[in-house]
Amino acid sequence: MAKETAAEHYEERFEFPLWKLIKQRAEEKDISYLQAAREMLPEYQKGIRYRDDEFESAEIDKREKELAELAERKQEEINKSGGLRWY
Amino acid sequence: MVLERIVDKVIDTDFLVVGGAIGGSAAAAKAAEHGLKVTLAEKAKTDRSGTSGQGIDHYGGAFPRGMTVKEWKEFLEKMGAGVCYGGGPYMNQTRLYRQYANGFWGIEEMEKLGVTMRWDDGDLRPIKNFFGPAPFTRVHWYDCKPQMAAGVRKRGVNVLERTMVVDLLTNNGAVVGATAIDTRTGEFIVIRAKAVVVATGMFGRLYGQSVKYYFIMHPCPAAVSGDGWAMAYRAGAELANLEQSRVRGGMVHDLTMSHGNIRNEGIAVRMRTWDGDEVPSISRETEALFVDLERKGKAPFYYDFGNLPDDFHKRIEVCYVDERMIGFKVAEDRGFNPRTHWYETMQRKPTVLHAHPGIEADENFQSTVKGLFAIGDCSSGSHDVANAATSGFLVGDSIESFIKETAEPVIDEAQVESQKETALAPLSVKDGTESKELEQAVQNICMYYIASHRSEGMLLEGLRRLGSLKKVFIPQLKAKNPHELMRCLEVRNIMDVAEAHMQVCLERKETHGSHYRLDYPEPDPSQDDLRTYQRLENGQPVLEMRKVKPLEYPDDHKEER
Repeated sequence: MAKETAAEHYEERFEFPLWKLIKQRAEEKDISYLQAAREMLPEYQKGIRYRDDEFESAEIDKREKELAELAERKQEEINKSGGLRWY
Repeated sequence: MVLERIVDKVIDTDFLVVGGAIGGSAAAAKAAEHGLKVTLAEKAKTDRSGTSGQGIDHYGGAFPRGMTVKEWKEFLEKMGAGVCYGGGPYMNQTRLYRQYANGFWGIEEMEKLGVTMRWDDGDLRPIKNFFGPAPFTRVHWYDCKPQMAAGVRKRGVNVLERTMVVDLLTNNGAVVGATAIDTRTGEFIVIRAKAVVVATGMFGRLYGQSVKYYFIMHPCPAAVSGDGWAMAYRAGAELANLEQSRVRGGMVHDLTMSHGNIRNEGIAVRMRTWDGDEVPSISRETEALFVDLERKGKAPFYYDFGNLPDDFHKRIEVCYVDERMIGFKVAEDRGFNPRTHWYETMQRKPTVLHAHPGIEADENFQSTVKGLFAIGDCSSGSHDVANAATSGFLVGDSIESFIKETAEPVIDEAQVESQKETALAPLSVKDGTESKELEQAVQNICMYYIASHRSEGMLLEGLRRLGSLKKVFIPQLKAKNPHELMRCLEVRNIMDVAEAHMQVCLERKETHGSHYRLDYPEPDPSQDDLRTYQRLENGQPVLEMRKVKPLEYPDDHKEER
């Protein structure tokens, strides 16, 4: 069963780490969330492997390969069932 | 009769820009750099107006420089032809090329205007787009609108905030200005101009799922009501490709996450049926698969982010900041955790009219009416922020020569009186219909009779019902103040464009692109390269089908700045 955003999840109170930092900074300095984001973003980005091309390419290529295999599998299923039409 | 006796204010300008978002701001700023007298009318407030009002996390294009036309054509072919950029095969091919060739110049002009384009290490950050062949540039654009607005003001543009242009003024077949209303004071204004550019963006308020008025998606609530399209159409300009409403998978309409946020770091996210089967990402090529899956009881469909590496979850968080930060709060309030929860997509419902549909424009962005120009999503094909910016800069950079050759505009006072009477009528209605009520009725008609699949009977009945609503309820629209008057005028625009949309859908008797006819399910090969162009003549719609204007540059041409 899909875990969609149903009422049962309301109690979980998940906090995005970056949003938590922004809220804290906004409260500490009594500034807007936007101003706090401007201050927090550069620091937060240092922990992200933005310019690690090897890592990035590997992850993206891996997903693309998985998708391509999936598309091929689905196409075979479609072909076996006589193809697709809008209606 | 003296104009000043009819209206509250008369403004004289060289160049009137209608709409102060990305394209309009670019055009206004650039024209002002040439020393022109520029007036910009924005229905909301330029600091946060338009579909980019809450920020943007990507700029649609990373453009190799120095290509000849021949190389460009080969590149497009390699990248997937036509769909690569803007309106592709649906638009004037020279305009398409000019946008592409000047794309990098557009980035440089944005920087000159004060907009942040570069990443923290001082470089642009191009992203390979797994959803389509066109690459784009990741940008921190949470402040792009205030940055642009400041650049526009700095260049001396006369900015009319919270001013809605009602209609264009014409004389001898040319546009000579416009009438407008100050949505705070109610002042009725005439703006006399030698040239007018409309930059009011896409049209997105005719289908229920894409309602943006109620802040369901991220544009400014005053956006996407089709004002530019409607005023151009009423002035006699052609609207192109109106049957090509966009059908796509997107996020279900709440604010938990922006659709772009999950894809603009370039990694494919898993898509699943409700019972867990993984399916390919929805795209133009896989739409038929999703129809089949729906029929098999596999809907709704969900995005599953669980497989993403932690680094990409962090990247998505940064996308939240760059584009529509309010998504954080909504997600938190709902307890939405992208690491564990699935997110329902919009499946394959019609969303907006943009990319292909819009005001027909030539290679210089001039519409089929002299003196009227169209840029960005307001024009047919100049889609997305990169095209909006580049088309705006191109028009602003070249409009001076047009203005120098144009005689002083002469306003037809009877036309002003007529527009004023029509525009202000809702202020005199006491026990009438509220604009929201009528807008909802229009959306219900569009959803039921025209949305995804069309047939002659449904379209005829839809048109009859829409016509009936116009006849009965437009005269009953009521407004207690100038702000509500703006809403009434928006509904009039929405109805005019919705009607034209339905008329073209009825006349195109084949399935073509994203226009699906149940009674003509196959494409007609004889119409394969024909596009639709509709205009009003003496109040009656006239539809033409013809080929797009081909590329006119020689193969070794390079247009760069």
